[in-house]
Amino acid sequence: MEIVSLKEVSLNSKITLLQKLGYNSDGEFVLDSHGTKILDRYIEIPVKINNMAIFPGSTIILDDNEVSITSYLEEFGEDALR
Amino acid sequence: MPSDNPVSDAAEGITKGVLDWSLEKITSFISKLKNKKLAFLENPQTMETVMDQYRSGEGKFYRNYITDKSILPLVMIGLTLRSVEEDEERLHTLRDNVFKKYHAEGLHVAEFVQMGILNRYIGILLEELTSIPEFKNSIEEILKNIEKHTLFVRTTNKKAELIKSADIKIRASSPRIFIISGIKSATKLVSESIDSFKVILKDYEFERVSNNEKEILFFKRKNH
Repeated sequence: MEIVSLKEVSLNSKITLLQKLGYNSDGEFVLDSHGTKILDRYIEIPVKINNMAIFPGSTIILDDNEVSITSYLEEFGEDALR
Repeated sequence: MPSDNPVSDAAEGITKGVLDWSLEKITSFISKLKNKKLAFLENPQTMETVMDQYRSGEGKFYRNYITDKSILPLVMIGLTLRSVEEDEERLHTLRDNVFKKYHAEGLHVAEFVQMGILNRYIGILLEELTSIPEFKNSIEEILKNIEKHTLFVRTTNKKAELIKSADIKIRASSPRIFIISGIKSATKLVSESIDSFKVILKDYEFERVSNNEKEILFFKRKNH
């Protein structure tokens, strides 16, 4: 699996990426198609565009943190990230 | 074209400053994402740290013997906590996130693993191992009932309330193994209270695991 770091990617590129995935952003937070801030599936905080994680085959956008990644692995299996 | 080298685009970004992606490149990335060949991460190190715990021998051992889905993530997070101990800010953020999702009891389970208490507890279980199902059950039982089996000492605690708290826990559930743990500034309070703990836990054998950073007391009920 290829891992693409978003750390150095421009805000415009991130917003375009999100739009292609059916999301949007106000420049700070990731928004759904209705303009509502999306919450991390596991720790339920608004996902910021400068700290997001998007996993293979998934259109779930998470906050990039150890708890959410572990929870994702436990829900979808270790093979989901190999 | 995106590189096959993981994290290559980050390196490219560092040399060029902020990285702009063409629409073609984004479309190509999304195609790979949908085909399960690519992940986007703000900081790939986060995932690497987590995956390191899954690849570790200790992580594999726990995954073999702990099957409860409510407990296993906390055990893995406990290993991650241990691996980021040197990075105060990261440790603090991770503890905050654990608390947000799992509250104080969940954080205690993760700390139990982080501090190496679980692996010593397993060592004690192995000394009296009779069957694998019983072994697995004993591991899950302590993790699911962490507050009954363990006293987590904070710097703000007073010695008298610690002794009282331990006494209440022992009387309430008479655990086979009871653990008292303190880290950093709480280690002094734990070590100063050992003699008092021994009095209320007189039916227990005593073992101490101690260094500058932690003070962990194991009390194992004597076999009569």
